[in-house]
Amino acid sequence: MVGLILFVIVKYANDRALESNRALVASFEKMTITTEQIIDNYLEDEQHLCDIWSNYINNLADAGNPMTMEEAVSYIRKVKISSEISGHLIYIDDGSLLGISTSPSTTNSNNYQVDYSHISIFDNFDIKNVDGKVNLTRAYTNPLNGVQSIAFLNNVKILDEEKGVIRDGLIIRVVPVSRLEQKLIFLKGEYEKVEISIIDWDGNYMIHGKSLKNSNFYEYFKSYNPMSNKEFNKVVESIHTDIASMHIRNSKSEDCVIAYTPLTSLDSWYLIAYIPAKELTDNRSVDWLLLGMTSVGLMILLHFNLLVLRAFNRKLEVAAIAANQANEAKSQFLSTMSHDIRTPMNAIVGMNEMILRNSHDEEILTYANNIKMAGTTLLAIIKDILDFSKIEAGKMELVLESYNFVSLLNDLVNMVTCKAEEKGLFFELNVDRNIPRVLIGDEIRIKQIITNILSNAVKYTKEGGITFTITSTKSDKRQDEVSLHVEIKDTGVGIKKEDLDKLFIAFERIEEKKNRDVEGTGLGMAIAQSFLNMMGSKIYVESEYGVGSVFSFELRQTVVDWEAIGEYDEAFKQFRSEQKEYKAKFEAPEAKILIVDDTEINLKVLISLLRETKIQIDTADSGDACISKFKTKHYDIIFLDHMMPGKDGIETIKEMRTLKDTANENTPVICLTANAVSGMREKYIEAGFDDYLTKPIDTVKLENMILNYLSTDLVVLNNEDKRTESFTAPQNILVINKDLGVLRKIKEWLEDAGNIVLVKSEEQAIKYLENHEVSLILVDKEMRLEESFDDVKLLSRDFKEMDRDELIDLIKEFL
Amino acid sequence: MGRTVKRIVSVVFAAILLVSVPGCEKSKSESKEFTPKYDTSINYKISVVGTYANFESLESEFERFYSYYPNGEIGYTYLDDYGNTIGPALAGQEPPDIYVVQPWMYGNEKYADLFNNAQDLSDEKLDIDLDCIREGVSWEMEDGQILTLPIFATSYGMLVNMDIFEKEGLKVPETYGELLDVSKKLKAAGYESPVMGANTMTTPGIGYTFAYPMFAKTVKDDRSVEDALNNLDPLAGETMRNSLTRLKEFVDSECIDINKCSREIENDYDAVIMRFFEGDVPMMLCSGDVVSGTKKRESKSEAFSNNPFKYDFYIAPSGDDGGYYMDSISILFCVNKNSANIDMTNEFIRFLTSQKELGLMAQEKRLITPTKDYSLDEVYASLSGFPDNRTISFRDTEILDTTVKQFRAAAYAVINNTMTVDEAVEKYGSIAVK
Repeated sequence: MVGLILFVIVKYANDRALESNRALVASFEKMTITTEQIIDNYLEDEQHLCDIWSNYINNLADAGNPMTMEEAVSYIRKVKISSEISGHLIYIDDGSLLGISTSPSTTNSNNYQVDYSHISIFDNFDIKNVDGKVNLTRAYTNPLNGVQSIAFLNNVKILDEEKGVIRDGLIIRVVPVSRLEQKLIFLKGEYEKVEISIIDWDGNYMIHGKSLKNSNFYEYFKSYNPMSNKEFNKVVESIHTDIASMHIRNSKSEDCVIAYTPLTSLDSWYLIAYIPAKELTDNRSVDWLLLGMTSVGLMILLHFNLLVLRAFNRKLEVAAIAANQANEAKSQFLSTMSHDIRTPMNAIVGMNEMILRNSHDEEILTYANNIKMAGTTLLAIIKDILDFSKIEAGKMELVLESYNFVSLLNDLVNMVTCKAEEKGLFFELNVDRNIPRVLIGDEIRIKQIITNILSNAVKYTKEGGITFTITSTKSDKRQDEVSLHVEIKDTGVGIKKEDLDKLFIAFERIEEKKNRDVEGTGLGMAIAQSFLNMMGSKIYVESEYGVGSVFSFELRQTVVDWEAIGEYDEAFKQFRSEQKEYKAKFEAPEAKILIVDDTEINLKVLISLLRETKIQIDTADSGDACISKFKTKHYDIIFLDHMMPGKDGIETIKEMRTLKDTANENTPVICLTANAVSGMREKYIEAGFDDYLTKPIDTVKLENMILNYLSTDLVVLNNEDKRTESFTAPQNILVINKDLGVLRKIKEWLEDAGNIVLVKSEEQAIKYLENHEVSLILVDKEMRLEESFDDVKLLSRDFKEMDRDELIDLIKEFL
Repeated sequence: MGRTVKRIVSVVFAAILLVSVPGCEKSKSESKEFTPKYDTSINYKISVVGTYANFESLESEFERFYSYYPNGEIGYTYLDDYGNTIGPALAGQEPPDIYVVQPWMYGNEKYADLFNNAQDLSDEKLDIDLDCIREGVSWEMEDGQILTLPIFATSYGMLVNMDIFEKEGLKVPETYGELLDVSKKLKAAGYESPVMGANTMTTPGIGYTFAYPMFAKTVKDDRSVEDALNNLDPLAGETMRNSLTRLKEFVDSECIDINKCSREIENDYDAVIMRFFEGDVPMMLCSGDVVSGTKKRESKSEAFSNNPFKYDFYIAPSGDDGGYYMDSISILFCVNKNSANIDMTNEFIRFLTSQKELGLMAQEKRLITPTKDYSLDEVYASLSGFPDNRTISFRDTEILDTTVKQFRAAAYAVINNTMTVDEAVEKYGSIAVK
């Protein structure tokens, strides 16, 4: 930048200097023209005085009274004023060029004789008929006083007394060159070093500038300005014809300027003004000192900046290297964490699930439920960190696939409903019925965005609730696009204006002190915002501190099926009705599956999960063991773990696919992986797997996948009539119970019945009831209620010992 | 102990003395460097008049003087009809501060004022280093005054194409015998006229440049004939015999083709140089003034531009033991003692009077330096150390111009066979000079 400024300054100064130079040269040319006019006037005046002499003499001759040479010279002597000027009169008709002068020789005061026979100044004249406007000779030596002079000429008729005839004479007005030079003294004021020369056609001087060596200007010019004859002739022609200027080199090879102009009153005389170029440039208007100082200053500043920047850059470089190393370490850590944490978590969650299924000890079930909740939270945190690290590394990519919008909505609503109910918050859902059913987008990420916002809304809302609104607008720009407007409104703590900026900063938690009991990493909103940015959108926030917040965003999605989702309530109920209380969906005692995992506990989890299906399960703890069994025994499905020491899952399946003539050529192989990063499905399919299942294993997904791949003749589905008996409650039901397990069980049993609101305390119940109407209040009989509730609606029992049918029967009876 | 100290002190002083000796010499040498005598900011104006239409070498000296005294203006003016105008100029309204004189002017009443008006340059107050001038060209008047400063010297001899000699493997001849030998070889090598020159009656012509130095040597060796010669006494014609005889031998030898010279060299200056630059003339007889014109004409000669060659000036080998070096003065400067700018004029002359400045002037003009050091111009390097016994300076003889003209006319007649040597000797004093 400093360099650029410097460049601009120097460029500007240079332009100014050039402009100034041009102006100065133009001014110098003007001075030359003025000088030429002064000289012209002077020469014309001198010629005029010479003409007066000749006219007087000739008039007398014409009048028949010619003057003799002596008389004419005597007349001139009387009329001439200046003693410096002489009048010479010579005969020209006999070629002698002898005559007399008005002034005597300086060496002999009696000698007035003048002899021009040895002085060749008339070569360029027809001296018998000098008829120019100004008849001027070159500078020559006055033969009587040795002074360099110029001469003005005119013809006269003179009486030769001796011969008694009128003869042709030439009157010569002899003027010292120094007199002409004095006329040019005025120039010294303006141009101290200017030198005026006057040259004839051939370059010989009349007036000779002191710096111009040689007696001939053109000889001088050629000596110090070497050029081709053609170029030289151009220079001579320009001097002969133009009023102009040019740069030349003098005898010291210095740059000089000459301005030149023809003398208008004379044929073939030219005025040349010479000045060293530096004398002209000294006067120009560019303040080089100031410019120099500025430039030096800037250069110092530049170098100083460079030094500082270099030092700073060195520190930055060190910091960058350290940061890169740290980042690499972080990535490595996160990568291994993905496997190393999720794998044991698989065991924990899986084994915990077994406890939950098999244990009847209330205390153990409570602990197991707590483990499940903590495990879920921990997995969510790990997932957030993984996602954020991937976004930071620029490796996060959207996976665009068609998805069912109802399904997406269901997942979201299930998630938030549970959480809201746990906190006693209402959850209001407004879904535009015209939203197309099948869209293209990254379902997982969209779900993640909304989940994060909804989770936050639940987390930071202590009372009131959350309103989730989704509307759609058909895109104007593209016919196959729909614009979804998602808005999540809560009645939470709200955000101060000054904290709004922190909202999307990773690991930044607003009012951390106040909200320290709220779980979270501070990554949720940052991840949501990052995903939306990738999708070309962003989150808008409106918030009033203490009142609540509204988060919203627009999302464009390509539409696959324009069929509208219709009334979501109906769709939701339809979806919920498919959710079953856990029980093995089928039995397949003839089916044989192979499970391959290097971790024994994982094998046990899977075996336990599938126990009720009565499937015959073989296990293998390595890729080689898997291949060995693959070669020898037929399996209906093989579950193969990806990450194994030695031969990993991908290497194993590649080898399996190359084996021919085995009993398992058409056996589906499903990848078991803890790698939950998106895009893995394609990777596994490409590797040769038929499908994949993420750990921790979701029992429903596991059963569904087995059902999908098992031959139907091996499967016997369980009778579901009993479980699908519907129960519909007309109004809201409020459940008050300190035991979260009981609350969930009731929620699960009654979810088809209506809006079930779960609270853990009397206080939460009272707050909810302040704003909501309920038709039934289920309260644990162990709880002692301090406030009076409407007895008509209050049903107090020990629900822990009750099963679903008993509960439904009890409610029916109560209502 | 005391003696030891004294010894040490003595040794130290002796060492200091030894070290100081070259130091003294150095400072003496440095004292010859020009040091301005006056305030260098002084304003001044000096005029120089002379016979050269161009005097660029002098103008270069003005420039160098300006480096010491920048606020001045020194102008050189060529005076038309110098012989007639220098007198009036000195007496006129704008008398020059420095003017040119030539040796032949001395003794002529017409030019008496030139010498009468001249400043004595040997005046110690002026501190002019006249010691740098070669003795042969230093002109001390009878009363011991030195009124003139020799600016250029000249001589008579020949330009030698060194490349031809190198190509033919020959040495530049120093004696007449060597000249005959070399010429024979050169002719055999295809050079029609190994020696050429202008067939004129003038000083740069063949006769004068080849034979006059021998004649002058004859006069120098027997100055008793001077008066008779200057009085154009026919009996004094015998003095010319030896030199004219050698000239006749020369033109009749294989050395020179006079007809070719007459045909191809139409004048004694420009044509001599341009013909020499054609590159096929091994030796060209000429004067130093002709040599001074070579530098500017190098670029004007297409032949020389296309095929430049090295050339040097040598004394023509007319004698059996070697040639004769006429150490002649070309021009001299006088300082007008009545000058209105006498101090600065003397200062300029003091500046100019040094081996360096006079050498630089001579080098630029390509004339012979009047100083003792010939080294500045390689062309004249052959003159350095020329034997004194064959050197004739202008003070060694007092041969008047009329005598010189008689010799030139005699030589021209002998060369062109219009007179025999005997006839020329016999007719001395009455030989037509035009």
